[in-house]
Amino acid sequence: MTRDGDSGPAVSERAMLAVLAAQAIAVTDGVTATSGPAERWQTTSAAGTVAGVLAVADGRGRVELELHLAARWPPSMPLRQIAEQLRERVRRSAAIAGMSDRLGDVSVAFDDVLTEAVSG
Amino acid sequence: MSTPDKTTALGREVTRRDEGGADGGRGQTTIGEGVVTKVAGLAAREVPGVHNLGGGAARAIGSVTQKVGLGDARTQGVSVEAGEKEAAVDLTIVVDYGESIPRVADAVREQVIKRVEGITGLKVIEVNITVNDLYFPGEDAPDEAPRVS
Repeated sequence: MTRDGDSGPAVSERAMLAVLAAQAIAVTDGVTATSGPAERWQTTSAAGTVAGVLAVADGRGRVELELHLAARWPPSMPLRQIAEQLRERVRRSAAIAGMSDRLGDVSVAFDDVLTEAVSG
Repeated sequence: MSTPDKTTALGREVTRRDEGGADGGRGQTTIGEGVVTKVAGLAAREVPGVHNLGGGAARAIGSVTQKVGLGDARTQGVSVEAGEKEAAVDLTIVVDYGESIPRVADAVREQVIKRVEGITGLKVIEVNITVNDLYFPGEDAPDEAPRVS
């Protein structure tokens, strides 16, 4: 896996796929993107910063996406099912944008659970 | 390809799932141990009769760290050892005075298993519960005024 600037796809494709993934997260019930400690899970490009999505050129002409999520409590469905929905949504969006052949693996990581304040 | 089991610090064996590295070959889904911990803690708090989670020291430290934004009440009193397929949960709880402790403990165990298995897909192999204290109504009330001035 190589970072942008190596032999991978152009910045615009990486940024575009990151934006498509962020849009897919935004319309998926029960989850929100999280950029994590020190904002390490985000994609920065000339187009701006996309929080919660790591888009990385895989060195074979594709872009791998890593989606980092916080689930809202209580989740409406099992987390793996949410991940599958999200993965499908990203693939559909990439297909509509004519970028199916550029999209590599889409990994989904649940890193946190969001609740109203819990008294303790 | 098989993946060796994970043996936890407490000697429990938590089996890893052999996924071949990806879900359906299109990318992995990972659920952080912190997520499992929070789910277990939130599930325990849903049970009537559970007043709080954590031992006395944990609650005292927790109340301070939460005030400065460092602590998280959702993980207080919860310890989870999670592999990719199974999880073991240890809980320390405070029970409301007047409740049946065995009944509350059973209900907590059932709720934690239901929530963790339903939400994360992990099989819960054990839920160990320590009842650390009883809560008496009014215990949190501010100290009465001194009788003598």
